[in-house]
Amino acid sequence: MKIGFINIPLKEGFSIKSILGFEKTFVNLLLASAILGLLAVFAVGIYSFLVHGHHAYNVTREHPWGLLLAVYIFFVVSSTGLCIIGSLGDVFGFKDYMMISKRAIFGSIVTILAGFAVIIFEIGHPVTMLIYNVLSPGLLSAIWWMGTLYGLYLTFMIIEFYFLLNNDMKKAKIFGLTGLLVGLAAHSNLGSVFGFLNARGISQGVFYPTYFILTAFITGIFLAFIIYGFRYKLDFPDNAKKLLQGLAKIQGLLISILIFFVTWKMLTDIYGGVPGKADTALHILNSTTFQLEVVLAMIIPLLVILKDFGRSPVLLFWASMSGMVGIFFMRYNLVHDTQLKPLMMLKKTEYQLPPTWIDYFPSQAEIFISLGGLGLCLLMYYIGTKAFNLDDETH
Amino acid sequence: MARLAMALDYKNCINCKACETACKEENGILRGADKHRIWVGTGEIKGEYPLLDIVSNTFYPSQCQHCDDAPCEDVCPTHATYTDDNGVVRVDVEKCILCTYCINACPYDARYVEDVVTNTVDKCNFCSDTRLERGETTTACQNTCPTKVRIFGDLDDPNSEISEVLRTREHFSLKSHLGTNPKLFYLT
Repeated sequence: MKIGFINIPLKEGFSIKSILGFEKTFVNLLLASAILGLLAVFAVGIYSFLVHGHHAYNVTREHPWGLLLAVYIFFVVSSTGLCIIGSLGDVFGFKDYMMISKRAIFGSIVTILAGFAVIIFEIGHPVTMLIYNVLSPGLLSAIWWMGTLYGLYLTFMIIEFYFLLNNDMKKAKIFGLTGLLVGLAAHSNLGSVFGFLNARGISQGVFYPTYFILTAFITGIFLAFIIYGFRYKLDFPDNAKKLLQGLAKIQGLLISILIFFVTWKMLTDIYGGVPGKADTALHILNSTTFQLEVVLAMIIPLLVILKDFGRSPVLLFWASMSGMVGIFFMRYNLVHDTQLKPLMMLKKTEYQLPPTWIDYFPSQAEIFISLGGLGLCLLMYYIGTKAFNLDDETH
Repeated sequence: MARLAMALDYKNCINCKACETACKEENGILRGADKHRIWVGTGEIKGEYPLLDIVSNTFYPSQCQHCDDAPCEDVCPTHATYTDDNGVVRVDVEKCILCTYCINACPYDARYVEDVVTNTVDKCNFCSDTRLERGETTTACQNTCPTKVRIFGDLDDPNSEISEVLRTREHFSLKSHLGTNPKLFYLT
C-alpha cells in the first residue's frame, strides 16, 4: 500500500475477508470468541465510566490509584520488554535474535497502544492533559516525563517498524536504537513516579526506576515465548528453538537477579522496624497477591529454566504464561502496596473510620476496561499478523 | 505579596467541628465523609472508668500545610498546582487533568477529588476564592472557632499576630523531616 512516498508492504490479499478467514479449529474459534468477549466487556466498562465517571471505580481519597493504572503499567512494561527483545537483533546485531525483531517491535506497538487505551479512562481529563502538557509542562513531574517520552517512544517504534517492513535495516537500526533509549528513559521515569513519592516510605528511593527496566526485560522474554508459541503452534523449528534457548538462559539470569533484588528490598524495608516501612513490608509479605507474584513470575519459570537450561520451549511457553500472570500481580501489587499504609495525618479517627490498612478491590467497570485492554491488544496483534509479514525475510 | 500561614493553638480545640462545617459552607465543599478540606483528628480517651487517661483525649485540627516546598506542586505534570503570590498552594481547575498524583504525593493527606462540579482535585486554599477575594482577612475556620484555636496571617509582616505568636511561643510542624517547609504551625 502506498500513501504518498510512504510504502507500507501489506501481505498479499489482506482484507476484512482475510481477517475473518482464519482456520476454524477449536483453539482458533475459542481465541476469536475470547477476543470478542473481551471487547464486549470493554464496551460495557466504557459505558459505565461514561455514565458514572470515576464513581464507577473503587478508587477513594486514600487509594486514588487503582487497577487501571496497574494494567497501564502492565502493558507499557510489556511494550518496553518487547522493544528490548526486538532490539537484540536489529539494533545490537545478534544474528540469532534477528528473526523475532519485526514481531517483537510490532508487539511493542500494540501493547503500548493497549496501555494508552486503558489509561485514557483513568485520567480524568485526557484532552486537558494533551493541551497543558504542551502549554504548561511540569518539568519536575515524573508523570510529565513518562508520558512525553512514551509518546516519543511510540513514534520511534512505528518508524522503526516501517523500516523493518521495508527491509531497510540501517534506518531501522537508527530509529530502533533511539526508540530503545527513549523507551528505557520513559520506563525508568515510570518507576520514578513511585520512587519520587517521599511521603510513601515503602516506594521512595532508587529501587523502582531500576527494577522497572529489569522486569521489562523479563516480561519481554516471557512474551517472546508466548508469541512464538502461538506463531509455531508449539512446534518450534530449529532456528526458533535456538533463539528461545538463548532467551531462556538470559531469563534464568534475570529472574535470579530479580529474586536477589526483591529479597534485599524486603530485608532493607523490614530491618530496624522503621514505622511505615517495616510494618508495610511485613503486611505485603503476608499478602496473597505478593505470594502469587513470587510463585508465578519467579519460582515456577526459574525452576522450569533450571530443569534443563531452557531446552524445553514448550514447557517454557507454559511457564511464561504463568510468568505473565505473575507479572500482572507484580504491577497490581506495586500500585496497591504504595497506597497500603494510611498517611496517619493526625487522623487518629477520621469520621469514625479508624485508620488501618487501606483496602481496595477493583470495581466491575475497572475489571471490564482492563480486560478490554487485553482484548484490544490481542485484536490489534491478530490483525497485524494478517496485514504484515512479521517473519524475518533477510536471513 | 504576602506569605500567608496559620498557627494552631491545638490544645484549645474542643472538637466541636464548627471549623469543618464553616469551611464546607463557605467554600461550597461537597457533603460526604471523604470530601473535606480540613479535619479534626481525635485521640480517644484510653483506659477504663474510673482510671481514665484524660491526657490521651486530644484533638488535632489539620488541613493543607501550604508547604513552601510543596511535593504536590512538583509532581503535577501540568502546573495545575501552583503557589500564588500570597504563598498559598492552590489548584487551577482549568489545568488539572485528574491524574491524582498530587493526592499520592502529599504527605499530609490534604487533597481529595471534587467529583461533582469541577471533577478535579481540591484542597484548602485559605479561603482565597471566597473570603480573601472579598477583601476579608480571616478564613472561615478561623472566624468560626469558639476557642480561637486558629491564628491566620502574614509571616512576612513582623507585626502580624502570627509572627508575634511564633516569636514568643514554642511550636512544631508536621513531617518537617520531609523538607516540605510547612506553613501550618502547632503551638505548644
